[in-house]
Amino acid sequence: MNYDWSVVWRNADVLWEGTKVTVFLAVTTMAMAIPGGIALALMRLSGIRTLSIGSALFVEFFRNLPLILVIYTTYYILPVATGLRFSPIATAIVALSLNVSAYNSETFRAGIASIRQGQSDAGYALGMSRFRVMIDVILPQAVRRVLPVLASTWVSLFKDTSLVSVISVGDLAFESMRVRSQTFRVLEMLTAMAVIYWMLGYPQAKLVDWINNRYRVSE
Amino acid sequence: MIEARSKTRGAETGSVPTVAYHDVKKRFGNFVALAGVSMEVRKGEVVCLIGPSGSGKSTLLRCTNGLELIDGGEITLDGEHLPNDWDGMRRIRQRMGMVFQNFELFPHKTALGNVMAGPKNVLKQPRKAAEHRAMEFLRKVGLVDKATSYPAQLSGGQQQRVAIARALAMDPEIMLFDEPTSALDPETIGEVLNVMKQLAEEGMTMIVVTHEMTFARRVGDWIVVMDRGAIVEQGSPEQIFESPTKERTRDFFSHLVWTG
Repeated sequence: MNYDWSVVWRNADVLWEGTKVTVFLAVTTMAMAIPGGIALALMRLSGIRTLSIGSALFVEFFRNLPLILVIYTTYYILPVATGLRFSPIATAIVALSLNVSAYNSETFRAGIASIRQGQSDAGYALGMSRFRVMIDVILPQAVRRVLPVLASTWVSLFKDTSLVSVISVGDLAFESMRVRSQTFRVLEMLTAMAVIYWMLGYPQAKLVDWINNRYRVSE
Repeated sequence: MIEARSKTRGAETGSVPTVAYHDVKKRFGNFVALAGVSMEVRKGEVVCLIGPSGSGKSTLLRCTNGLELIDGGEITLDGEHLPNDWDGMRRIRQRMGMVFQNFELFPHKTALGNVMAGPKNVLKQPRKAAEHRAMEFLRKVGLVDKATSYPAQLSGGQQQRVAIARALAMDPEIMLFDEPTSALDPETIGEVLNVMKQLAEEGMTMIVVTHEMTFARRVGDWIVVMDRGAIVEQGSPEQIFESPTKERTRDFFSHLVWTG
């Protein structure tokens, strides 16, 4: 069998465009899903029944549906059902954010629960309000504690962005597949795609390890 | 000069007690933690709560600043009835300092950051003022050089001194100590007790839950012996340590020293 690796170089510009979209999707999704996850976790722990149940329903709904189904539904059903129509890229971000927010919510909830009661007692004893204690005492520790989990979620998300290629978002996966179908160079394009994903993903995982070591809270 | 402290309570009768407990009750489920406790703490007095584990000493302390809400009776601060609700107690907590057995310093903040936490986030002082004030209290507990250290970098004794500074930075009317030396290595207990003794000599009103009998005897003005959520007896250190009237008190003391 003959390999023609030049197909990769000839399409480097397309792959570069796809890579940029992939990075944009991952970064934007996480930028929404971290505050989203914290908000959902705080709602769940608020002690206010409606908020708590609402948050739980949201989390269990989106956490237990295949991401690809959420993507399809947002793209095809939502416009028909509600008249809301998003561009493919906006659809991708909405679907990914819903999914990752649900995951992050559980991560933050576990992190918050892991901070011992003595810490909040110390905050209350100074006269802090519940809100102050959460913002100044609990959350900073909880976020640091769950960094490794957030890192795993991030790495998963980075790869899962490839699912949005099913609604023709021009990410790295979509562009690679398009070149493949135009040139029939399957092995070359899949390899190129794998190398790019891996080279992007690995340093990120290392970076998060570094952040984790740097900002870890030891007692 | 410990002797300079008044150990005669009678002289001050008539003045309004700083903290007064009247028939205070607290339950956790079926467990009766406080079965009706009545006592008074006068201004400038060091009251030591002693007794076996689970006797309700810590619970009484936590009810004082409302970390636990009481199920019956009442507590007054300077004659003012304390509200028995969480939010109402928030303002009261700002007037009381609390020191915990496990220090409970905020591990993500430096020593300075910990001491600043109250003035900056509760009293809303500007950063510079809060920092200046915090440094004063670190100086008071002898830890100015540790201002930029994180709790994990400090010894237990140092952490507890920072915790005392953190409570003092709120300028409290009364300090509550919940077994402040129980989690410490033996060799760092002294430095914490010294800071507490200095505070007592400066006239700070203090309620101290402790197993340090030497401290209670030498620094305490009034000793309260508790067992099973009730006060067994209370009196001056001389009276309690030298001639306890209750069998339970004598029994408690006899278990403090291992005689083999």
